Amino acid sequence: MRRSTAAAVGTLTGAALIIGVRLSVTPPEAPAVAAPPAELAGGTPAPKPSSKKPAASGAKTEGAANKDEKKEEKPKSGLKDGVFKGGAAANPYGKIQVSIRVEGGEITDAAATYPTANDSAKINPPAIATLKQSTLEAQNADVAAVSGATYTSESYVKSLQAALDAAKA
Amino acid sequence: MRHVEHVMGTTVSIELGEDRPDDELRRLVTDVCDWLHEVDARFSTYRADSEVSRFGRGELRLEDASADFRHVLEACADLWRDTDGYFDAYAAGALDPSGYVKGWSVEVAAARLRAAGSRDHYINAGGDIRMRGNHPDGGPWRVGIRHPWEADKVSWVLALHDGAVATSGTYERGDHVINPRNGRPAEGLRSVTVVGPDLSVADAYATAALAMGEAGIAWLAKRAADGYDSAVVTDDGRAFSSANLPAAV
Repeated sequence: MRRSTAAAVGTLTGAALIIGVRLSVTPPEAPAVAAPPAELAGGTPAPKPSSKKPAASGAKTEGAANKDEKKEEKPKSGLKDGVFKGGAAANPYGKIQVSIRVEGGEITDAAATYPTANDSAKINPPAIATLKQSTLEAQNADVAAVSGATYTSESYVKSLQAALDAAKA
Repeated sequence: MRHVEHVMGTTVSIELGEDRPDDELRRLVTDVCDWLHEVDARFSTYRADSEVSRFGRGELRLEDASADFRHVLEACADLWRDTDGYFDAYAAGALDPSGYVKGWSVEVAAARLRAAGSRDHYINAGGDIRMRGNHPDGGPWRVGIRHPWEADKVSWVLALHDGAVATSGTYERGDHVINPRNGRPAEGLRSVTVVGPDLSVADAYATAALAMGEAGIAWLAKRAADGYDSAVVTDDGRAFSSANLPAAV
């Protein structure tokens, strides 16, 4: 139990690290990329305040990322081409390290490694994207089925799956 | 052929994609529905005479229980270990294996369809889907993942020929998803979708990650190596997906 709790805490820091780096390194000229991750563009999510943990560890990461930024000086985006690694954060299993690839002054790839005793895993950056309203609309029509949190027979009636079933019955 | 059945406290949508005589397709659908009602009768915690209820009251000994019942208990124990205790059939105190039974029963139903000669089908049980083969248009099945705030929109579209998609979220049952490790309502994640070969595993992983909160994101990232990809939306609207999520667009 204690072992798995440690793993969970470690990976939580890792997940927050990626976000922190993405926010702090991204040049301000690229609003599409720089949009705060918490924002659902045009959406009506009424986002709940997030827990304090991500913000706290995000702030911590900014320090590490800034160190890297000092090395790279280019006028436009302030980013030099190449692959850059953030400072490694230690956890009980090893070090979590975030790296980004910069091409043409833009971040084209980012990844975080979670080296543990036996394996490591990656969360890739296309991954860390805000939900885009336009995409949501475009994706609405053409599906055969909808996956969602389990509905009751009563709430099924209001679901998109019910509409699909009705349309194809 | 499409069919909608109310069973197991939810609604199950079945689509058979193949071009076969109606009475054949109807027989296949009936077989699936009969099986799901049988599972409900045997495993529901709401029925006093179900195997689960009888086992809970000590009236059914494990050695006298059906092979299905023993399989369910073993699978729940395995998943409890695999998820660091975040998938817990005893989360509410008494045995409640419904979190496994639904996915498993649909897996079995889909296997029965295949055994009966159906190549193209999907079964959607309350938002958890097992599919095979092709959509009637010849392409993959396109599965939308419900937008966690807007019920009439989807946040991802997946394209699959063969596999399972399970989603757990706090938007449908409010805060009633309990973190079994501390007994409190799960928070941090709004919606977790897991895609993989087996619906019962995908469903359990989605439930477990939701209970873990934000730590579940990195936990899920590691499941990708076993063929289980995922897409997650946090309470504050950030979206994550694993690199090989079979996204259609």
